[in-house]
Amino acid sequence: MKERTAGPALLILPALIALGVFFLYPLLSMLVSAFTDPEPGLGNFAWFFGEQANMQVLGRTFSTAFWVTLVALALSYPYAYAMTIAGPRAKAVLTLLVLVPFWTSLMVRTFAWVILLQDTGVINKALGAIGMGPFSLIRTQTGVVIGMVQLLMPFMVLPLYAVMSGIDRRLLSAATSLGAHPVKAFLQVYVPQSLPGVSAGCLTVFISALGFYVTPALLGSPTDALISQQIFTQVNGLLKWGRGGAMGVVLLGLTLAMIALLAVTLRRTGRKVTG
Amino acid sequence: MLNITKRLAGTAVASASLLLAAACGGGAAAPADIDLGSGPAKSGVVKKDALKGVNLTFVSYGGVYQKGQQDAAIDPFAKESGAQVLQDGPTDYAKVKAQVDSANVTWDVVDTDSIWAAAQCGKLLQPLDYKIIDKSKVPEGLATECSVPAMQYGMVLAYNKNKFGANPPQGWADFFDTAKFPGKRAIPGNPGDSAPGPFEAALVADGVAPDKLYPLDVPRATKKLDTVRADLVFWKTGAESQQLLESGEVDMVMMWSGRAYAGIKNGGTFDVQWNQWMPIMDSLAVPKNAKNPKAAMAMINYYLGAQQQAKLTELTSYSPINTDAKPKLDELGTSFLTTRPEVADKRLTVDDKWWAENQPEMIEKWSAWLGG
Repeated sequence: MKERTAGPALLILPALIALGVFFLYPLLSMLVSAFTDPEPGLGNFAWFFGEQANMQVLGRTFSTAFWVTLVALALSYPYAYAMTIAGPRAKAVLTLLVLVPFWTSLMVRTFAWVILLQDTGVINKALGAIGMGPFSLIRTQTGVVIGMVQLLMPFMVLPLYAVMSGIDRRLLSAATSLGAHPVKAFLQVYVPQSLPGVSAGCLTVFISALGFYVTPALLGSPTDALISQQIFTQVNGLLKWGRGGAMGVVLLGLTLAMIALLAVTLRRTGRKVTG
Repeated sequence: MLNITKRLAGTAVASASLLLAAACGGGAAAPADIDLGSGPAKSGVVKKDALKGVNLTFVSYGGVYQKGQQDAAIDPFAKESGAQVLQDGPTDYAKVKAQVDSANVTWDVVDTDSIWAAAQCGKLLQPLDYKIIDKSKVPEGLATECSVPAMQYGMVLAYNKNKFGANPPQGWADFFDTAKFPGKRAIPGNPGDSAPGPFEAALVADGVAPDKLYPLDVPRATKKLDTVRADLVFWKTGAESQQLLESGEVDMVMMWSGRAYAGIKNGGTFDVQWNQWMPIMDSLAVPKNAKNPKAAMAMINYYLGAQQQAKLTELTSYSPINTDAKPKLDELGTSFLTTRPEVADKRLTVDDKWWAENQPEMIEKWSAWLGG
């Protein structure tokens, strides 16, 4: 019995070692530097929470991630729903439309957005042709949200679709045959069952958005920098690794807190739905 | 089964130790003793095959610039000296710090900002040996304890000649005059970096005498910058500034001369106002604890040669730092030589020493203004 369990355990050893060397060790050294560089203590955290600008950046990071998640959900929910009701050919096209950008490099897509969003870019030229604009899109928070939504949408669509495709649509017919208005049937029967997909998608998108670096750096203005850009400033520009570490620790802590909060609320609503 | 388990464990342990060895090792090799020949060093010359078997890594900012450095100086140096020279990049100060802190330095010669090099002298960078490096052809005062210039260029005012060609902006005062010169203007705006440029321009525009710029009056400068903030666009990379110029998205750009040159060559309808341009240099430096500092300095010495510098200028449009260099350029390229007297005389003097002492503080103030 013992031998049987030891075999598989050893098979995951290389992965564990890789994680330890390339993930845990750097993470720990970041933690250590946050508390020890340049001197032991909480100085880096005192600096972080003492600066008004840092609080603004932190707030902006969370609000950007929030808007990205909301817009991505609003666009992805009907899309994923359409995927579940489409015929096989249409479904293949819809899936491909999600996956092709997913397979394209994030850098390439971000640069494409630079071209699209700039004042003399495709979007503003097209709008100008029908007598609108020009709008300032690039170097604004709106531009950042547009780019990030597009980049993160696959992470919303795919879990939504995975859950939705498992929902028995006959339940909707059953609800309407019992006299429910189709809208009511959808909201009370279908939506609650899709919530696990919603939460998985929202969580993935929100957390990825919190740590985004390249897209806000390229599409946004330095005047509305997000926390990852500020970390870069401390680490690469000022060589203050302790401060960078402290900012990383704060971001990590808040992210974990968000996950915990969401897990608790989900368990509650889950109980409500089933109970 | 037991045997397989043991073997698996053995493999896992072996691969783990290999990984660790790869991560930690490599720093132990002692610098090879090299003979660079007798007599005083002469820039642009290295003793034939003096560095056979030596490995060096040259680090710069990539793009046309590093390719130019490679073709003009580094590859010929490798051929002449017998050294194997690897190219790496882009220069990343955090990587220099990580290498020096962990005493595992793999970068031998690094192209850096000259102010950063001055600030890090004795900290992350080591003093240069001017018995190996001949600085006699480098203009007085440009070679410092830990660095020599890699080339010169400038922070210039480029303007859209379609819009302002009839009445071009005459200097930074006009750059800040949105009534007389309406339109968007771009300035460098990297939150992690603050270098001579925006503050100086704002103060000069606000009426500060060019010889009384330092110490910089930051509150006064940011107040002046605030007056045009609504019309400002911030570029974070040289490529971005060039893209802004070429697409005509802005009407004026405070930018590096090399990027203005490239943008105009690509068809950008811009001209450069050389009044009050600010000189900038890149520097070559050797990190502390570099494995073979003598060989690294021999490479720097070779890089400084007149021929190498002329070729570098021809390939990149950046101005040479060897006073004997005679690059052959077309009309546009010649107009961008900051070493020409008619251009050199129009410059605003930047106090690199002051910047080296105050840069960390300036970065914080600049980042605060940008984010505010």
